[in-house]
Amino acid sequence: MATQPSDSTEFPPEMIAKPLALVGLSGLDAVNNAVHRAVWEAFSARRADRTVRFKLLPNTFEFPVVKPKRNSYEWYIPKGVLKKNWIHKRVALVPALVVIFYDMEWNDPQWNEKIIECASRVQSIRAAVEGHATRVAVVVVQGALAPPPSEYMLGAERAQALCAACEIQSKALFVLPHNDHLMGYIVRLENAFYDIAQNYYHHETKNIKQHRDHLNKTTHQYLFVRHQFKLGFLNELKQDLSTAHKHYLHAYNNLLETRTVDTNMHEVRTVAGYINYKLCKLLFALNMARDAIAQLKSHIERYKNRIGPTELLFEHYAWIARQYSAFGELFDEAIRAGLPAIQSQHPGFYYQYAAQFTVKRRQAMRSVCAEASEYPLPPDPLEGIVEFYGQRPWRPGRLSADPHDPQREQAAVLALQYNERTFNHSAVVISFLGSAIAQFKTFNSPRMRKQLVVEMADEYYCCGDFGKALTLLSHMLWDYRRERWWGLASHVLARALQCAFLSAAVQDYVQLSLEALSRHIRVPNDDKERIFRNIIAVLDLEVPAPEPELPPSPQSAALEMWRATAAREPRAVAVDMANISSVLEVKPKFTQLKYRMDENIEIEVFVRLSFDAVLVVKNAFVTMTSQTETVEIPITEDGDHITLEGGKVKRLLCSSKCNYNDNGSEIAIKNITFVLGDEKKRQIVMNFKMEEFKLSESAIHPELLHFIQSPKADYEFDCIVPSTVAHVVARECRLAISVSNQSPALQGEWFPTSFSVANGERGAVRDVRVAVALLASPDNLNPETVTELALAEAAPQPQPLQIHADCISQSAVFTSTFYLKTNRTTTTTVQIKVSYSIDLPDVSKLECVKEFTTKITVVKPFEVSTNFVAMNFKPISKCFIDDPLIVMPHVKILSPWDLLIVDTELEVVDFFKYADEGKPKSCISNLEVAENNTAVDAICVQARYKPKDAPTRVGLYNIKWRRKSNADGHCVMSSTALSGLPIEECPISVEVYYPEIVELQTSVPLKCILYGKSSSPVRLTLTVEGTDAYMFAGYKKVSVTVPPGERVPVCYNIHPLVAGNTSPPRLKAVLTDAEGPAQDAVREMFDKSFPENIFVMPKYKK
Amino acid sequence: MAVCVAVIGKDNSPLYIGGIGNDNGTDNELSRQWLVHTALDALEERLATTNTNNAAAGTNTARTDLRDLYLGLLYSTDTHKISTSPSGSNIRDAEVRTALRRLHALYADAICNPFHLPGDQITSPKFDKQVKSLMLNNV
Repeated sequence: MATQPSDSTEFPPEMIAKPLALVGLSGLDAVNNAVHRAVWEAFSARRADRTVRFKLLPNTFEFPVVKPKRNSYEWYIPKGVLKKNWIHKRVALVPALVVIFYDMEWNDPQWNEKIIECASRVQSIRAAVEGHATRVAVVVVQGALAPPPSEYMLGAERAQALCAACEIQSKALFVLPHNDHLMGYIVRLENAFYDIAQNYYHHETKNIKQHRDHLNKTTHQYLFVRHQFKLGFLNELKQDLSTAHKHYLHAYNNLLETRTVDTNMHEVRTVAGYINYKLCKLLFALNMARDAIAQLKSHIERYKNRIGPTELLFEHYAWIARQYSAFGELFDEAIRAGLPAIQSQHPGFYYQYAAQFTVKRRQAMRSVCAEASEYPLPPDPLEGIVEFYGQRPWRPGRLSADPHDPQREQAAVLALQYNERTFNHSAVVISFLGSAIAQFKTFNSPRMRKQLVVEMADEYYCCGDFGKALTLLSHMLWDYRRERWWGLASHVLARALQCAFLSAAVQDYVQLSLEALSRHIRVPNDDKERIFRNIIAVLDLEVPAPEPELPPSPQSAALEMWRATAAREPRAVAVDMANISSVLEVKPKFTQLKYRMDENIEIEVFVRLSFDAVLVVKNAFVTMTSQTETVEIPITEDGDHITLEGGKVKRLLCSSKCNYNDNGSEIAIKNITFVLGDEKKRQIVMNFKMEEFKLSESAIHPELLHFIQSPKADYEFDCIVPSTVAHVVARECRLAISVSNQSPALQGEWFPTSFSVANGERGAVRDVRVAVALLASPDNLNPETVTELALAEAAPQPQPLQIHADCISQSAVFTSTFYLKTNRTTTTTVQIKVSYSIDLPDVSKLECVKEFTTKITVVKPFEVSTNFVAMNFKPISKCFIDDPLIVMPHVKILSPWDLLIVDTELEVVDFFKYADEGKPKSCISNLEVAENNTAVDAICVQARYKPKDAPTRVGLYNIKWRRKSNADGHCVMSSTALSGLPIEECPISVEVYYPEIVELQTSVPLKCILYGKSSSPVRLTLTVEGTDAYMFAGYKKVSVTVPPGERVPVCYNIHPLVAGNTSPPRLKAVLTDAEGPAQDAVREMFDKSFPENIFVMPKYKK
Repeated sequence: MAVCVAVIGKDNSPLYIGGIGNDNGTDNELSRQWLVHTALDALEERLATTNTNNAAAGTNTARTDLRDLYLGLLYSTDTHKISTSPSGSNIRDAEVRTALRRLHALYADAICNPFHLPGDQITSPKFDKQVKSLMLNNV
């Protein structure tokens, strides 16, 4: 008896394979001859786009016998549509071309013998293919060195002779030189062979077309189909795809026209399926995917209702399923070859249909095969060889509509039904669904994929593989839960629960049951009571009640397994509650965001049991982690157990001490665990992991919940926002720190600050260390760079300052001072950090830290500005070289504290010098000043030379000062740059000697000395500008030449005429032979040097 | 004929699934849920492509684009998405659009209820009744 094949509807391999032109190679000894082997291997090497299939013909190869030619179809009645062996004959047995390989050199010494042997070989092949139109070609295999015949007269002659001897055309003779370029020659030969083969197939199609005239529609309908199919196939061999498609389409349409009855239904639809397959395949190859889809649709539409005999209904569905799956494969292949597909049109749908129809097939099987419990007695009705595709072995080749042997027919139907009954439908469905799932995944349809996975799980359930079904379902459940499709989740969960029960998977069973009790999940018959009882039963190591609607036989097996699980370890079942929609909802909350080290950490845990029952929790604890450790804090209530009541919210409390190593770090609630059940029996450990919770609980809007008409308890529970993170901070420190200083500090001084640490703890503190550091502030980002700290005045130390005080006994005070010097006027923030250890009753050597910050404002002690005056104290804006002037620094005191200016000095720059001999003494040394006072100094300097650039400053003015109150302290040296004064050159300098006071009517001399300052003689024209108040004696206008470095005196006598403040006559000078700046300088020099006023005393008359 | 109307929230959870059919059995309801849920794939794909194409162009263009791609899901506004089930839609485009617009109005009315919590399922019997009559009018 033939066992049922994997599926009787599967397409025969010859139908699926791509038709390739067949070329037979003869005369190649691929076993013994190395050259021949190389040639054969080159031919048979796979190339991607090949169109020719080569077959090595051994000498003994027998070609199929040619059927006698039929002259008339008049009395011929075809027995079927397509013969099963025809394609095979075409693709494997009858070559389009036989190529005879023969080793021969053109200049072979035994030429004559060779040519005869070759001709005889050709003759023998001709004889073997007698009756077929197979072409014959000869390939002469030659050594590498033989030149091509075109260049070789002898070769050309002998080639011609060979053609004549073998009776072949010259284009059927090829020369294959065996050298390095073998592959290239082979490719060219292959193309040449392909041309010949095409020619042959073309000839064959012509032959078939000739038959058509002999056919008539009444008796030869099958032949119309058959011939068109053959034409299609030959064209495919020819690689003429569009013509092939045309013929296949004719074949398909002709088949549609045949009359179908129950007896030939199977054959017709089988052949229709094959032709449709060919059509779709060609359409995909021709890049007409839409037409392929349309073809399949119309194909299914046409055959959907031709179901054949009802007792074999399953065959119909099997056939449809096969149509879809084959199309899916074609589609998939086309996509892999580059066809673009979209989400709404891809092979997955066709696999899905295939699966659906396979399910229908099973349904049909169930309805019609119920009786077929035994295979019929021999003779086996399914035995027998069938000549045509799709025909029944028990009545081959019979066309009449009524069964000729009803008994045999009945036995055959029974055999088919029996086979169908034993057929594993689930395996087929699962494999189709598997293909579909892969496709849906590729084409971005995750939800479609999920649905199919659920269907697949159902199928596993059907075939009793509950473990696999459960795995699939639990994954899908997760997704539906996450998207809150509770309807779907409920469905999946119910099925998963069945699977878990049947496979006695305790862990899954418990988890699914707990989820089933959740308020989101609907269970069949609203029977949550039963599920709750089942959980209790599991806890008591009893067998839970079976789920409803279970198949009976696995159910009893499951009960066995459940009994076995009772004995098995581990008894504790851990359930991760965070991921499921749970019957128990938990929200933990730290009562505070910060806990001081000496406080208790308190955690509130709110629990809601949404199922209406009483649940006793044996044990519950909170897992809390900190930097250093993970602790489990037990949750306790009065009595041993925590009793939760359905529909109510319970607030539980637990507390723990801080770990002293966690100072300043974060503590977090990681997990809350509730344990159900007895240790001696089974325990369910429910873990609520908080990290995963956070994500799902992000959408709590307590303010919106005010409106909801939910139970009060629910409202409260919903409003609770879990708080799972808190901080541990240092305990409150009972040290008092105070600071005293005379703020503001002055810029540049060593400013003392004293601080005192008073011990307010109950007991002595040890190991006291004080660190004084500077803190950055927005307006003072790098305080270390501008501020120095010291413990003694003027002895800067690295920051932070460390002061060790060792032990401060209770109520004692520790005092210390530090100094601070800042070069910037800003607010300096100083942090005083006292760290110490203390022995407390419950912990020894507890490290404590107290921080204190103080702000110190720094102000300028004074401001320095400068005036420049001439020797007559007139303000000037520039000076001449060697011309003395007075620098007057004004020191304006800004300090609120009284200061003592100890000394001052002016450090002049290089191009100035002191006008006096030696360094002048300060005018304001040892001067006490108060706020808003201004101290003015005066130093006489003169310019030495004119610098290249305009001078920016005259020099540094150094003030040495200290606070008046700080009599023995350090002096501070403050330096200020004094602004510059333009220096100019003048070719001469002038000194004027005149009396300050004269008597009226008394002649006095006015002497003027001119110095030559330039390197050349200076020629001047001097004129006297007289006034009414004076008479004078001397030249009114005179020319003077001042030699370089020399002095020229010019003397006048002046005689005042009026008393009082008078303007004396002035000399004006003009350079005789120079213009420009020198001229101006000379004029200014004269203007400056001559007195504006001379006071004239009246003359007493004696 | 319209057989099922679903309102899907932003996070793809069902806010309302209403169907009219011969029976209200569990299987029927379940198959409707499958149908709507799997249609979300196509909707998501559609939204993803339109979003990349007219990231800046606002809802109006997105809407016209969606209309062109007629695979049962058509319409999108900022806050929620509405899809019609692809089964047996012989209704013309314009009719569906009007119907969906009315559905949108009904939805807006329903969530204006201060006792409704955004993101929760719509349980209003009035909404249910109106939606069902909307579906029947489209027969």
